[in-house]
Amino acid sequence: MIVLSDVSKSYDGGKTFAVQGVSLQVAEGETLVLLGSSGCGKTTTLKMINRLIEPTGGTIEIDGTNVLDRDPIELRRSIGYVFQGIGLFPHMTVRQNVEIVPRLLGWPVERRRRRAWELVELVGLDPDFFADHYPDELSGGQQQRVGVARALAADPAYLLMDEPFGAVDAITRDTLQQELLSLKSRLGKTIVFVTHDIFEALTLANRIAVLHDGRLEQVGTKKEVLTRPASPFVQDLFSKPAEQLSAFKNVL
Amino acid sequence: MLAEWENFVAARLGELWLRTGEHLFLTGVATGIAVLLGIPLGILGFRVRWLRSPLTAALGVFQAIPSLAMLAILLSLLGKIGALPAIIALTLYALLPIVRNTLTGLVGVSSETIEAARGVGMTTSQRLRLVRIPLALPVIVAGIRTAAVISVGIATLSAFIGAGGLGQFINRGLGMNNTRLILLGAVPAAALALLVDFTIWAAEWGLRPVRQKQRGMLKARLRPVALAAPALLVAFGIVTSLTKPMPFSDQPGAVAEPIRIGSKEFTEQFILGELMAQLIEGRTDLPVERRFGLGGTMICHGALAKGEIDLYAEYTGTGYQAILHRSGLFDPNEILRVVRKEYRERFQAEWLGPFGFNNTYAITVRQADAETNKWRTISDLAGVAADLTAGFTSEFQERADGYPGLRKTYGFRFGETRDLSPSLMYEALARKQVDVICAFATDGRIAAYNLDPLSDDRHFFPPYHAAPVVRMKVLRAHPEIRTALAPLGGLLDDATMQRLNYEVDEKKRAPAEVAREFLAAHHLID
Repeated sequence: MIVLSDVSKSYDGGKTFAVQGVSLQVAEGETLVLLGSSGCGKTTTLKMINRLIEPTGGTIEIDGTNVLDRDPIELRRSIGYVFQGIGLFPHMTVRQNVEIVPRLLGWPVERRRRRAWELVELVGLDPDFFADHYPDELSGGQQQRVGVARALAADPAYLLMDEPFGAVDAITRDTLQQELLSLKSRLGKTIVFVTHDIFEALTLANRIAVLHDGRLEQVGTKKEVLTRPASPFVQDLFSKPAEQLSAFKNVL
Repeated sequence: MLAEWENFVAARLGELWLRTGEHLFLTGVATGIAVLLGIPLGILGFRVRWLRSPLTAALGVFQAIPSLAMLAILLSLLGKIGALPAIIALTLYALLPIVRNTLTGLVGVSSETIEAARGVGMTTSQRLRLVRIPLALPVIVAGIRTAAVISVGIATLSAFIGAGGLGQFINRGLGMNNTRLILLGAVPAAALALLVDFTIWAAEWGLRPVRQKQRGMLKARLRPVALAAPALLVAFGIVTSLTKPMPFSDQPGAVAEPIRIGSKEFTEQFILGELMAQLIEGRTDLPVERRFGLGGTMICHGALAKGEIDLYAEYTGTGYQAILHRSGLFDPNEILRVVRKEYRERFQAEWLGPFGFNNTYAITVRQADAETNKWRTISDLAGVAADLTAGFTSEFQERADGYPGLRKTYGFRFGETRDLSPSLMYEALARKQVDVICAFATDGRIAAYNLDPLSDDRHFFPPYHAAPVVRMKVLRAHPEIRTALAPLGGLLDDATMQRLNYEVDEKKRAPAEVAREFLAAHHLID
């Protein structure tokens, strides 16, 4: 379980806040989506969980331990992370990219090679064909699959995903989302997923946390945020696409 | 024409091979050391941010030191001539591009990639080793290529400090006004620069990841060759320069230490060096090593004082003024007495008997003009100097015993003064481009072009009588050197030296051949 209590981040000594007073819990096995427009603090919140960014105030606990009490290197190796954009190492092959965390953890070559093979297969790529390709020889969707495989390599309990499908086309994104859902049902990971796309949030989330201007507006199940919005902002956020959707239906 | 060239090159093919090897050896070792030092320095500069500016500034200072000055400084610091100071100088010049490119490459890795490296849990040093360095590699290799190509160019100056290389040909050619010799060094040096550049590129190509679509047989097969290419090139250099024929004694048994004879980098010095070398070879059992074409007075003298050469021909006026920093005397015998005494005490070196000629500056005009205007002395020019154009070397215009002193002593200046190189001024005077030049009294072209040196009636120019200067230690160990060189004393008057210089400068004959002919004519060797 990940617990954020009154977490803040300020870059100017407290004059302004990128994230302010956010408290959240991510339950074992659930997918929590951090939803909001750009600059709302969702990526900052995500990066504080594995200490890519250090919080200014509040505490973050994973399984009861404050992350600040853990070695950041060891902490990051224990949590899968899928990066915004590409995030693959351009000078490493698909296999080397997927192997990287096991390699850093000192797994024997044979074991990590087998693991990479499995994972490339798991994310729907043919390892015989792709293992020795470099990232720039892959399509955007294929690269994102490799990114997911890399995050899963050391079999972490937690996955942090920072708009992983933001850079791929709508059809590929839909496929990737469906695959993530099926992966999740098989692997049972706990996922914190950042997106600005409301439909993506509704597709993937067990619960949704809506962030606005660094503050948490509401956190709840899909049904809760849709039917009982906690603030005008949350109401607006979901009503716009709902109107579009009904306009769409009317035409049909 | 082509056949002539073929003969010219064919006769020097062995030396060309050796010099190319030496050149590769110097360049390869220096670039190698610069890589071993420069990449860690670049990494250090990357890790320790405040070091960056001082580091690149300090290396920039090395770049700004003129090569010849660098060699002179290293000679006085190390007390050595030959490969060591040359390699150190080349290494210092090669560091900047390597360090700078290493820094640029490491800094230039995209922040997105570095964020990913942090995110997967890499430590700072793992980020450097696994991500930054591999991604910076093409930029670093580009720096190494720049450094190597610069080194090939600068290594031509290594000849000035007795390290050999293709600069031997270039310097000899420049000193003796021999275009063919210059080309014999310059063309291979340029080709070598291209080859070195290509080779390092090939190695980098070999290191580059193989993309799926390129995964043909060709690259797989060529890859090891490409990676090994720079090493092969350097190995060739090392082998060639280490297997060069060493001078051995004729006597069976112990290999005697050779007598190392130096010379400066102009015609007369090459001839005097050969005359002394051939006499010692012909009249003693001592082997001789020729270290000719060293870069000027400071390097020759430094090498003698540090025991890196055993003898060379120096000029009394140069020893008196440039080395001992003395002035005031004009009498040739007085000056010889002073340099002899001071050299014995300060440098443990002995001035043997002067050869006879006085290679001083000579204010020189066309014979026809001298006859028409009845010019015989420099003072005769006083009335007309304002209408005359002078062609002086840049050194003559700067030196206290050159134009500035001349103006003061004679109280006039020429209407116009042009900068001319020593090898061009004689022809410029003959072709009436200028009216007066600062000739060297023993230059063969004075007679050949019908020029007339005016007499120095106010005794402004100090005498420059050439004589062998020998380390006393060597002279004590091998007194036969004195005996062997004795016949040269007084044998070469101004006219004789002019003639010998002319044979080399204008007839393009080899100094060794001209020297042998002269010695044989005087029955000094067989």
